[in-house]
Amino acid sequence: MDHEMLILKIPSVAAELVIERGDASGLRCENVFLPNECSPLNFSSSNVERLKSGLEEYVLKHRNSLNNKCDSCFCSREKLKISSGVASSMESHRSPGLIVEAVIAISELSESLCFRSSGNKTEVLHFKDFSPSSVSIASLNALTSIDWRSYGLTLVSAVDQVDHALIEWESLPPYLHIDMVIHCYHKQYPGKYKYQPDRHLIKKGVKLALDDLKEKHTGLLLSAHAVKICSYAPDLASSIAGIILSSNDLKFRSKCSTLLELSQSQAIGKQTVEDRIKEKIISVIETNDRKPEKIKEAAPFLFEDDRPQDLDPADLYLEEHAGGDNVFSFPD
Amino acid sequence: MDDLSKSSMKFFSDQQLCFADILLPHEVQARIQVAVLNFLKILSFPDPAISDLPLINRKSSNSRVSEGILTDVSWIFLSHSFCSRSLMKANATKAFIRVWKVMEMCFEFLTQEKRVTQRELFYKLLCDSPHYFSSQLQVNRTIQDVVALLRCSRYSLGIMASSKGLVAGRILLQEPNQEAVDCSACGSSGYAISGDLNLLESLIMKTDARYIVVVEKHAIFQRLAEDHVFNQIPSILLTAKGYPDIATRFLLHRMSRAFPDLPILALVDWNPAGLAILSTYKFGSIGMGLEAYRYACNVKWLGLRGDDLQLIPQQSLAPLKPRDLQIARSLISSTTLQDNYRQELAVMMQSGQRAEIEALYFNGYDYLGKYLAKKIVQANYI
Repeated sequence: MDHEMLILKIPSVAAELVIERGDASGLRCENVFLPNECSPLNFSSSNVERLKSGLEEYVLKHRNSLNNKCDSCFCSREKLKISSGVASSMESHRSPGLIVEAVIAISELSESLCFRSSGNKTEVLHFKDFSPSSVSIASLNALTSIDWRSYGLTLVSAVDQVDHALIEWESLPPYLHIDMVIHCYHKQYPGKYKYQPDRHLIKKGVKLALDDLKEKHTGLLLSAHAVKICSYAPDLASSIAGIILSSNDLKFRSKCSTLLELSQSQAIGKQTVEDRIKEKIISVIETNDRKPEKIKEAAPFLFEDDRPQDLDPADLYLEEHAGGDNVFSFPD
Repeated sequence: MDDLSKSSMKFFSDQQLCFADILLPHEVQARIQVAVLNFLKILSFPDPAISDLPLINRKSSNSRVSEGILTDVSWIFLSHSFCSRSLMKANATKAFIRVWKVMEMCFEFLTQEKRVTQRELFYKLLCDSPHYFSSQLQVNRTIQDVVALLRCSRYSLGIMASSKGLVAGRILLQEPNQEAVDCSACGSSGYAISGDLNLLESLIMKTDARYIVVVEKHAIFQRLAEDHVFNQIPSILLTAKGYPDIATRFLLHRMSRAFPDLPILALVDWNPAGLAILSTYKFGSIGMGLEAYRYACNVKWLGLRGDDLQLIPQQSLAPLKPRDLQIARSLISSTTLQDNYRQELAVMMQSGQRAEIEALYFNGYDYLGKYLAKKIVQANYI
């Protein structure tokens, strides 16, 4: 609990250690000290920034079991990616003034030298009103109702382990580890205010944190769909590169090189062209994956003047079966 | 010789017509290059995207009929409705990539000035990209996708479909710089129609025939050729051994233009499939609708028809199969079928039966020739 309390990074909280000395004089020694911080914050930092910083340190110090960040596991900043989301209830809500902060940290450790990997599990730490809290039903429901597949994750189970929720993932890459913390409080804190944890708000906070991670780090938390499409990118790139390189039309090849931002030198090999096309295709897939569903636009058509005048929805899907119903569509 | 179908007054149908151009190799390559440039441009936009492929819809919903006003040739053509292939659609990704792969392979062949058959293309694709191509049918469909995307004929892409067609009878066919072939002296196997449309275009044809008889089945063609039926009634026999391929249709169309006074008569089994085959020669097809409309011919239905059933024994009638019913439904729903054909189809459906031309042999092996001759002389065809 103490280790987790540090995550909140409440300004200038000092931990009191009271030692009972069992001697006749009955003296008590009190030692007061401030926690050791890897990256001290400004006094004016917001609550969520503190929470974020706190979780970061928690992870860097292997769940605060170390005094300092573990340099062997986290040799570069890139190894730990962290983001946050804040959701607050509107004035019109039945319990206005509620705030949910969610912070998610993803560590990419090729080999964890210091501790045995916790495998496919994530402990979701919970705080309420600036104190560690038990897991609410609302929180569990929120976690299970998120569409994890759109982040490339599959949730197997989320269970209440009293002081944290334990999420089990299906087949996480072995080097990947996810940490999460959720903090619910009322904006009038420390004023007394009774409220129930709100499932929708918690879900929103966690999703904001996930979207933030995806937005800031290309290729992270790609949906299963995007990963699948990306796997086809090399073949598509290879076909297009094949056309470019088997053309005898120098003007055409030169235009393609320009569009691909390659040098105009004649000596460019197929692999270079292919790799560049592949990069661009994957980048578009990843960017599209970050867009929320509702603002995804239809892709432009290859030949601009082929604006569809009459798109038959049934025809937008590939039909593999032979056109047996249409006698005029016998294969030629 | 002006194409009669072109001289017919076509008003609104022209605006709706979507067709595949017949192009030279470098023109097709230019279109493929434009496709690549557009793809790369859109991929490099400030707001980049992976463009979708717009393909002309090859479905009955996009088919129209052109009814010649001054001629009696109608044909099916495709209009401007599109479907789209997208990389991003979960189950359509591979189909999207297949189109690019076929374009790539055609581009290479065109550069090398080679022509390949669909079969050869299938094997090449199977070796290069086994993950994407698993059957001839899939390759053929992808080829049609490329035709629908680039709006150029399959032949222009350098792809030939091997022809199953044969010609026999009173016609001389001469390839440039070759000896003329007398199709009445070819025996029962006839003259094999090439899959190379350029070659067929260049054939010099001479005939003294009065009729062209299109025969559905190879066995019937052979019987008629062996019996020299084409000498008894001066005629040309033609078969595609079943469903007609483009090359056979192409040659028939050439004949119809070269010899416009020769009625074209079809001899098919009495079942929906037979009528479907006749309809394809007559109107074209939707599957290859961007090209096939050019080769529609005014084919008349000689036999077998409902009133011929009295000539065959009851026991030679067989029940219609589910596939027959499927074809019949499709024919009924098509707008091209004329009323008398519909009536014949209705009789077939009501009786639930089918009959093959071979049933006529009940009356003797030479009966077929007599039957043909009698029907022709009586002008008993619709």
